[in-house]
Amino acid sequence: MQEAIPFRTYIPATATSGGNRKFPPIGSATTIGGNVLVPANRENYVQKLVLENSVIVFGKRGCCMCHVVKRLLLGLGVNPTVFEVDEKEEAAVINELSNINGGKDVGEVGVQFPVVFVGGKLFGGLERVMATHISGELVPILKDAGALWL
Amino acid sequence: MNSPSTQFVSSGRMGMYDPIHQIGMWGENFKSNGISNASTSMFIAGNPNSSQPILIAADTKLDNQSEDTSHGTLGPSSKYDQEASKPIDKVKRRLAQNREAARKSRLRKKAYVQQLESSRLKLFQLEQELERARHQGLYIGGVETSHMGFAGPINSGIATFEMEYGHWLEEQNKNICDLRTALNAHISDFELRILVDTGINHYSELFRMKATAAKADVFYLMSGMWKSSAERFFLWIGGFRPSELLKVLKPQLEPLTDQQLLDVCNLKQSCQQAEDALSQGMEKLQQTLAETVAAGRLGEASHMPQMDTAMEKLEGLVRFVQQADHLRQITLQQMSIILTTRQAARGLLALGEYFQRLRALSTLWVTRPREPA
Repeated sequence: MQEAIPFRTYIPATATSGGNRKFPPIGSATTIGGNVLVPANRENYVQKLVLENSVIVFGKRGCCMCHVVKRLLLGLGVNPTVFEVDEKEEAAVINELSNINGGKDVGEVGVQFPVVFVGGKLFGGLERVMATHISGELVPILKDAGALWL
Repeated sequence: MNSPSTQFVSSGRMGMYDPIHQIGMWGENFKSNGISNASTSMFIAGNPNSSQPILIAADTKLDNQSEDTSHGTLGPSSKYDQEASKPIDKVKRRLAQNREAARKSRLRKKAYVQQLESSRLKLFQLEQELERARHQGLYIGGVETSHMGFAGPINSGIATFEMEYGHWLEEQNKNICDLRTALNAHISDFELRILVDTGINHYSELFRMKATAAKADVFYLMSGMWKSSAERFFLWIGGFRPSELLKVLKPQLEPLTDQQLLDVCNLKQSCQQAEDALSQGMEKLQQTLAETVAAGRLGEASHMPQMDTAMEKLEGLVRFVQQADHLRQITLQQMSIILTTRQAARGLLALGEYFQRLRALSTLWVTRPREPA
């Protein structure tokens, strides 16, 4: 039986996953209150993020739904990386994300924020997270991706 | 002698008399307390010969006016002169009586008007109560007339929703009855399954209706005004709280196998976690909206600088209602997966009855005897 971890405490960041960290200055993406710089190698940057993080959530800045996903994952003991997208970059980021090989069919046209990537692959939006959590499938998936220990 | 005829009065000094004859209502109240009859109608005739202001009041209902004014004639002035000295005191008394009568009449009028006003208020309150009773599943029809007590413009999307919800409730009651009958009759699992699926689909139907209504007016949904008052007490993001529901249902479903117990426990927990996440999201939304509204300078009656942002935030509410309904739906579905058909049927029945009881409680509350306001 899975143990409940109160949402206020969570596993500290490891090398591959982290909270809202500051990204390396070579290609800075926006985090909380950060400046927006569009680096030349942008295209790969988002992809790199996806691959490097066991769990990463892309959401619009200040979006409350993104907050919901984040809190839910935190409550499970996951420390998700959160990438807050500025309005200006929105289209570009969506574009890149759609191009990333999600492993499943990338027929999910029109990625809507917030969107979650688990284990380098496209997982889905808030609804999918909720549905898999209720059905009990989410935690095993997270464990497989190395986002969750216990 | 009492004669009902009128007499002519000449006077420069009349005092204040209401021309009351047009208001027959409390004219009827003027029974025979003799003197008060004085204020019914007055006639003034010029009496050129009179140097003295002679005042004789006229009335239409003379009862006990033995002394004063009996004969209604326009006699020659001499007649008046003869009587002039005699009834000076009586005239004065008459004046006083008239004044008194008029004053009482005014007071009566005031009381009557006050009574009218309070009745009007009561009527308005009754209409609102009736309105609420209608919404508690006793929907009759004619939505247009039912918005008298409501503030704000009539929203056709909401009007549609209210009507559909009324039908939904009727259907729901029917489903519950069917379930009860079926469980008592020990029908086959196969047939029971059909009823269970019908029940769950019926809830899905409600969530679909709510999704449409949310686009029309999300605040209306969030207010829970379409639900009965007791249901509204438990409101969470425009509906029932899934985890609360599981707590209510679990004891009704026993006996459960060990695996089922485990699964239900897990479901309760997951549900709670999902609810918490949504609640926290709502808090964040409130916070950011408050910040947006308070932005700029307050206290100078200037317009809010970030109207657009605020509007966007409000639209975020629609998604919250959608996600909350989605959670309700998947919780119900997961329950029907964990449970056997028979257990699921009992669960749906219990759930349906629970809400029925809440609605009944609300009606009882609305119609409870109260002290007069």
